[in-house]
Amino acid sequence: MTLPISVVNLAEPWWVGIIKAIVIFAIGLQLIPIILLLERKLLGRFQGRYGPNRVGVFGLMQPLADIIKLATKEGFRPRTSVAFLFMIAPAISILTAVATLAIVPFGNTVDIFGTEVGLYGIDPSIGILYAFAFGGIAFYGLMLGGWASGSKYSFLGSMRSAAQLISYEISQGLALVGVIMMAGSLSLTEIVEAQSVQGWFIGPQIVGFMIFLIAGFAETNRAPFDLPEADAELVGGYMTEYGGLGFVSYYFAEYLTMIIVSALTVTLFLGGWELPFGWYTPGWAGPFVVLGKTLLIILLFIWVRATLPRLRYDQLMTLGWKILLPLATLNTLVTATLLVTT
Amino acid sequence: MSILLFFLASIGAIVGAVGVVALRNPFYGVLSLVAHLICLAVLFLLLQAEFLAAAQVIIYAGAVMVLYVFVVAYIGGQDESLGTSHGVLRVLTPIFVGVLIVELLIALLGSGLSAVTSKGAKVSTMFGSANQIGDLMLTKFLLPFEVASLLLLVAAIGAVGLARRRVGYGPGDVPFDAATIAAAPPAGTGTMAEASGDRPVAGFRGEDR
Repeated sequence: MTLPISVVNLAEPWWVGIIKAIVIFAIGLQLIPIILLLERKLLGRFQGRYGPNRVGVFGLMQPLADIIKLATKEGFRPRTSVAFLFMIAPAISILTAVATLAIVPFGNTVDIFGTEVGLYGIDPSIGILYAFAFGGIAFYGLMLGGWASGSKYSFLGSMRSAAQLISYEISQGLALVGVIMMAGSLSLTEIVEAQSVQGWFIGPQIVGFMIFLIAGFAETNRAPFDLPEADAELVGGYMTEYGGLGFVSYYFAEYLTMIIVSALTVTLFLGGWELPFGWYTPGWAGPFVVLGKTLLIILLFIWVRATLPRLRYDQLMTLGWKILLPLATLNTLVTATLLVTT
Repeated sequence: MSILLFFLASIGAIVGAVGVVALRNPFYGVLSLVAHLICLAVLFLLLQAEFLAAAQVIIYAGAVMVLYVFVVAYIGGQDESLGTSHGVLRVLTPIFVGVLIVELLIALLGSGLSAVTSKGAKVSTMFGSANQIGDLMLTKFLLPFEVASLLLLVAAIGAVGLARRRVGYGPGDVPFDAATIAAAPPAGTGTMAEASGDRPVAGFRGEDR
């Protein structure tokens, strides 16, 4: 008996959920050091230097050294900060990032020792809205961190990232309406299944894809939208006053958000666990396909960071409100019209 | 499990709501309102209204409260009392609150007491899903839905109109002059103490402000 993939996790035994939670978060968090190293190495090459090459063979142990250094640092906070909020803000950031990882689907239903298992954490009926809900809460992680630091640089940085976050969240959400209308479902697994029938949504929804990706760059505070951390103006943005584990939490949350945005792009526009050109994908290969595609999008993130200069604040707002938002609205209208008339 | 969650979320919601009224610092007041809204979203989840819970978090906690936090963080944040209340307000406020409480109690007890021995209303499998809500909004509740969006449109246009109003220099205003400001920086600027805020720093040995 095979259930539809979006409900298969409701029929699983209770221990499957626990194992899936551990595996998904272990792999998701292990990706961060790899991407950190990859980014530093590639940025070095882009800028005509070596990048880290002292710790371990080819500098492969560099992330480990970084983590040990940061984890063994003395925890301190400015005398002007608000202790409770200063402590809780990085936790909000990392918590929302980790929670969003749960909805990324990594593969079709597979048979493990006679048990039907869907290769995803959870598949709520609200689907992608789950990610947006946690994205909304993630704002408080940045905002409280900057405010509670009691420092003007942190405060200005958090204000910038908050304004950026809410400006681009709207375009990002609207860009997805086309995909949701074409798939006829909010559920991420059903969106992937719709793509195996209708073809990848990057073709018909190319405008939505571009808007989603650009808004994703802004959401993750990455270059060229890294105004919150504009070193020359603001020292280090909302995390200026954080050292040690608080800094690690923010840093990890930022990279985890980048992984999630990439994985969601793969799921929504690039066919999820399906191989291109209609090649047959065996069930066990799904996670590797998803991770491979995600890595390609992350390489794009790094490439863009090495290439484009930082936008000015007014340019950032103009791009978000006057270009992306009307374009996303237009995309929604055109998709709706085409879907109804054809 | 669901009973435990219900009590946790209810207590959180009540504490948050009390905090909004009781806390003096407006920033903490806004934060406890956020906590209250998130607890309400958990209660919606327990009622199988997933879409409503997500909408609650996205729109209220993620958009409306963000603007509150913005405004309060920029202009508020001090422990200030809101001034002495007027005599009329002091009489009217308890009356309004009392009427509201009585109305809510009638609604709650009226429906709640009759259902306390039953097993609760039957819900269909599609209850609370995005499909059903969209269906209702475009058929049964089309008119209220459109009227509400018209109201929001009016508000948006009004906000744009207010924001676009340009005011030039008044008779008493001093035009901005970068040269004068650069020539005479106020005492205490350009120091670490300034960077870390206006609150007095113990042990700070810089120039007195």
